Amino acid sequence: MHIMEGFLPMGHAIGWTIAATPFVVGGTIALRRTLKERPEARLTLAAASAFTFILSALKLPSVTGSCSHPTGTGLGAMTFGPAVMAPVGLIVLLFQGLLLAHGGLTTLGANVFSMAIAGPWVGWAAWRMATGAGLPIAVAVFLGAALADLSTYVVTSLQLALAFPDPTSGIAGSFVKFAGIFAVTQVPLAIAEGLLTVVVAAALVGRGGDAGHGFAPLSGGR
Amino acid sequence: MTTVDRIAHTNRWRGRSLAEKVVLALGLLVVALAFPPWPTAAAVLAVAATAAIVGAGVAPRTWALVMAAPLGFVVTGAATLLVTIGADGVGLAPNGFADAAGLTLRAGAAAAALLLLAFTTPASDLVAGLARLRLPTELVELALLVYRFLFVLSDTFAAMHAAQEARLGHVGWRRRIRSSGALAANLLPRALDRAHRMEAGLMARGWDGGALRVLTPRRPATVAGLAGVVATLAALVLLGVATR
Repeated sequence: MHIMEGFLPMGHAIGWTIAATPFVVGGTIALRRTLKERPEARLTLAAASAFTFILSALKLPSVTGSCSHPTGTGLGAMTFGPAVMAPVGLIVLLFQGLLLAHGGLTTLGANVFSMAIAGPWVGWAAWRMATGAGLPIAVAVFLGAALADLSTYVVTSLQLALAFPDPTSGIAGSFVKFAGIFAVTQVPLAIAEGLLTVVVAAALVGRGGDAGHGFAPLSGGR
Repeated sequence: MTTVDRIAHTNRWRGRSLAEKVVLALGLLVVALAFPPWPTAAAVLAVAATAAIVGAGVAPRTWALVMAAPLGFVVTGAATLLVTIGADGVGLAPNGFADAAGLTLRAGAAAAALLLLAFTTPASDLVAGLARLRLPTELVELALLVYRFLFVLSDTFAAMHAAQEARLGHVGWRRRIRSSGALAANLLPRALDRAHRMEAGLMARGWDGGALRVLTPRRPATVAGLAGVVATLAALVLLGVATR
């Protein structure tokens, strides 16, 4: 769920940018290390990032049907690991802002924090815990993708609540308002994306061999 | 996606210097956020719209259609400011209407400023400009490669989606999930295959895995252009300070 351009006050826009920076820097260092070892990974990573962008053109069934599309952050975190998703997410979000007017520059930091940091780490942790607990792969992948989406939505609601506290009940009341109004689209979306990712994972594993060019650890843990 | 990019490559301001366009658009963004929405954000909205429609020659209808896309989120988000939740239940917020209208106006002005940049400057120019700011080359290079892949992949995506729709693949909730999953699962290996073919082609031409060098024409900023940009921004800042 993207926060649109100009929606956050100046202080919050700067604050979230500062909060997201260490993760992006850390991810870039991880990226640099990968590219030094395997320069050819540059093209694979670019193709996968572009794929994440294209996913947002996929309309998923939802109650209101307005702007529900998969974010692909769960799938990305499960295939590439959550650390690299911060710089990759930054690039994807930048292009979504510049080419689709979806998101924006002043809200880039807040959106990177919710979609490229919180979502991937939560989704990845859920997936690892589920596989560790011996749950079936399909269930683990569903949890990884759906919880990545849900955590993004919760963090976005929190970001909005911090920026616009309720006059009587403060930040908590405002969080209830934002989480409530966006739950209409975001909760069905999380379930839909979870199911979708299970279909994708099953198809990728079913293709077998080198279909994922070494980027298909969806068979559980790595 | 292609609408904004096509206009970015063909608009009247395409040949203007990157610095002028970036300073104007980012300046408008900052002014929209730094001052109370009325009347500064309204003035920013007017300036950004005039620059895009009259200056760069974007068709008003196209401009309005692209502007409308983020509006769903803005209106839903602003609507929450109308109500308040307290111990007595839900009620109308004091000043709620003014707050919601102000927020909508500010977000609209900021979106128009962002669109001015998006409509007049191709994303590849912007990323190439970032490289001059000494950002990590890994990030900039990756961004330029992603930009090149976007269009190829979106064509493939559109063809696959059309084929599925023609076979009633998106009728009903279950089929939609199944078809979308199949589409994504088929698109990802294709994207990676394409990356591998491109890599083989580049290796055959002596690529060592380093930065891909491409020619980007440099358009130096003109004194008159920059003066116009600075004067516009200064006038808006004055308006903001005077009405604060």
